[in-house]
Amino acid sequence: MARIIGGLGTSHIPTIAMALDRGLRDTPDWKPFFDGYIPGQQWVREHKPDVAVVVFNDHGNSMFLDRMPTFAVGTAQEYRPVDEGWGPRPIPPFQGEQDFAWHLVDTLIDNSFDPTIIQEIEVDHGLQVPMELFWGRPAAWPVRVVPIFVNVIQYPIPLPSRCYALGKVLRQAIESYESDERFVILGTGGLSHQLQGARSGFLNPAADAAFLRDIAQDPEKLAGWSREQYVETFGSEGAELIMWLVMRGALNERVEIMHQHYQAPTSMTGAGMIVLENR
Amino acid sequence: MEATPISPDEDHIPDTPLFDRKRSLSGYRLNKMAMGLGEAANRAAFKADEAAYIDRFGLSPEQKHAVMTRDWREMVRLGGNIFFVLKISALDPVPIRLTQICAHQAGMEHAQFQRERLGKKS
Repeated sequence: MARIIGGLGTSHIPTIAMALDRGLRDTPDWKPFFDGYIPGQQWVREHKPDVAVVVFNDHGNSMFLDRMPTFAVGTAQEYRPVDEGWGPRPIPPFQGEQDFAWHLVDTLIDNSFDPTIIQEIEVDHGLQVPMELFWGRPAAWPVRVVPIFVNVIQYPIPLPSRCYALGKVLRQAIESYESDERFVILGTGGLSHQLQGARSGFLNPAADAAFLRDIAQDPEKLAGWSREQYVETFGSEGAELIMWLVMRGALNERVEIMHQHYQAPTSMTGAGMIVLENR
Repeated sequence: MEATPISPDEDHIPDTPLFDRKRSLSGYRLNKMAMGLGEAANRAAFKADEAAYIDRFGLSPEQKHAVMTRDWREMVRLGGNIFFVLKISALDPVPIRLTQICAHQAGMEHAQFQRERLGKKS
């Protein structure tokens, strides 16, 4: 059966993509941020996952308000980068993992989750940036992806507890999948930031530090928070941190933090990274 | 679709507009117009004749004015969502930075915003 080799958490700030595209990686503003990901990149190189399940949200690039799935699974053969208004970015397309994606859909629906099934879609920085942060800028991605889209734009967004529960079914799907492949799960978004309203520019490094600790040690607590608590604590856009709970729900009750990094602000966001392994 | 703009006093969390049913309904056309700018042909149409492009989508006069004057705070007040309306910023000769858009919403000068909200020295 397929196996989960770990969970990765990371911010997916679009400015990171712009910095890479403009060759700013080693400038004084950006070097400390990118250097913080070197241990995460080494972990990925050493552990060689075959498949990455990436939990993220579209930011009004591939999905409009006319149809907004709460949870959706990508079952496509390939995912190209979407034009976010500045033209599509020059990065290679992501290869999908269709067979597992359909198995995931089966498993979710058999367990009372009812995701939208997406056979054709382009992906935005929400998926691109985490892949680039952990895998760099290869000529072709050495890993296939299964996107799980979560609506964190149009309220009501899903309950944090529901994201955590979805992670448990994701685990069941991987562990019942007939394959000897190695799966890694990426929870993306956050940490604290707010881009709308008079509280724009809100940051909460203390809460971000507590989140990075609790996502490893006490995920049940974070899963029990209300959406409003997330918004109040992490900012209106920081509430997207609920997507890390999908990743965490797929891991063991006990995990070990292998690597961790945090920098605030990166652009306008508390930017965090974590690498978790089951214990 | 022409719902009334939401007063900030109605927000449960102070100064934090959530993109809820009311905002989504009032901003639908504005956001749809901005979403269109993800396509190069629509960007060209916007650049050629901004008012004519906007008029295809049936925005309210207030919304149209907010877009044409690049009044970001007003766009959000009228139901615009930052992820959609941000695409408008790509079309100006000198694109405004996201931190400037956020400073405007916070009612601050950019330097003050950088200092007080983001803790930056300069």
